[in-house]
Amino acid sequence: MTEDTKRRIEKRKSIIDTLKTELIQRLNLPYRPDDLHEDISLLGAGLGLDSLDALEIVLCVENSFGVKIPDESTSVLRSINTIVDFVIDKNEKKGDE
Amino acid sequence: MRISPLHDILAAQGASFTQRHGSEIVSSVSEPAVEYDHIRNKVGLTDFSFMQKFTIPEEPGIDFLDTLLAGNVAKVRFGRMLHTFLADDNGNIIADCYVANNDEELILLCESIIDDAALKDILEKHGAADAGLVDCTGSHVLLGIDGFKAWAVVKDLFGIDVLGLPYLSIEMYPFGDTDIRFFRAGKTSEFGYLLLAPREIGEQLFAAALDGVRKYDGGLCSVAVHNDLRLEGRFFNIYAEGTVVKDPLQLGLQWMIDFDKDSFAGSAAIMQRRENGLTKKIIGIQTAVPLEEFVAGVGIYDGSEQVAEVKATCYSPLLQECIGLGLFPVDIAYAGLTFNLGGADGPAVHTISMSPIMPRSLTIKLDDM
Repeated sequence: MTEDTKRRIEKRKSIIDTLKTELIQRLNLPYRPDDLHEDISLLGAGLGLDSLDALEIVLCVENSFGVKIPDESTSVLRSINTIVDFVIDKNEKKGDE
Repeated sequence: MRISPLHDILAAQGASFTQRHGSEIVSSVSEPAVEYDHIRNKVGLTDFSFMQKFTIPEEPGIDFLDTLLAGNVAKVRFGRMLHTFLADDNGNIIADCYVANNDEELILLCESIIDDAALKDILEKHGAADAGLVDCTGSHVLLGIDGFKAWAVVKDLFGIDVLGLPYLSIEMYPFGDTDIRFFRAGKTSEFGYLLLAPREIGEQLFAAALDGVRKYDGGLCSVAVHNDLRLEGRFFNIYAEGTVVKDPLQLGLQWMIDFDKDSFAGSAAIMQRRENGLTKKIIGIQTAVPLEEFVAGVGIYDGSEQVAEVKATCYSPLLQECIGLGLFPVDIAYAGLTFNLGGADGPAVHTISMSPIMPRSLTIKLDDM
């Protein structure tokens, strides 16, 4: 495994760990972090969260990672992985500025 | 083999059939691309009568199902549904289940990888007879209406009230002189509905539904096309990854489990594996390799070392590439990495975030319906 791959894994793992811990705490989810597969659908099917939960997730991402999910970007909230993709993309763009 | 009550009418519409776990299913109606287009962009009608279907009185049905299934049946409110599973004694998944609370009755719908007799044995072993479980697998048909325009078809058939039903809910609607059970549930990531009706009115309901989908340029679909739609939408498919992986924890189905319950079928094995810690899990993958070469069982390599294995695949018309699911060790089970398929010098396969598509149904607002 290349050093670049290891760095990618570490970066992603760090964001996922933080996000899962925050979601479990804020949404009072009856799961351990390892129970939450990163591809689980958050809204509707899967975890079955509602629109109020979605607002809480948006706030959680803003507070934990300093990035704001625009109102029109509801597709970001499809899964933990799609949120992580969004956070990584925003952070990389910040780094380029 | 159990034949669908709608076999003849389906055959008359050009359907081909195959057998899966002791039941007949529609394997093809049109070109796969046409069926796919029906559901992604219009609406498709599918015969889901192969599913095993049961009713049970609310009392003692709640206790019976709660001790059997992984989810918390007791928490399912009137008019709502639970998506959960049935495991064997080894904690391996054998049926993907919906439980609907329809006031004084509960309805159990199963997609299983065991035949009717084997499922019946398991249910009997857990006290099905004493609980009043009624098998309506052969006496009822189950039709699926799925697609971007599915809401319009069911609105025409049953009235505007259907639009207010949340995902995973049940309601009764009249069809002729008969009340049928109507489920807001689907696994395509587009709008989806299931209609459960006595077989006596099955052909009549099928004809009305087919007229309805054709009004919106849709058509009849096979069960087979749902394999691809489920993978694209990252819905669990017991007939694909579920058949080869079987461990609900590796499959990422913890959300279907109530870990606070005392016990359920297979719970001891599942809880033990949970305590031991997850070592492997399935994640999404994507490759430019043609589908013929991207099949379940192919190894995924990091250099010369095989680190994972492909478990399910399909061609995604939306992405114009193949996607799939691979079983990876948890320490490298992350999206955004690149490996090789079939060997160190094989073509690239990328780990991806699922679901990789944005379904059109998520873009429509209630006011637009």
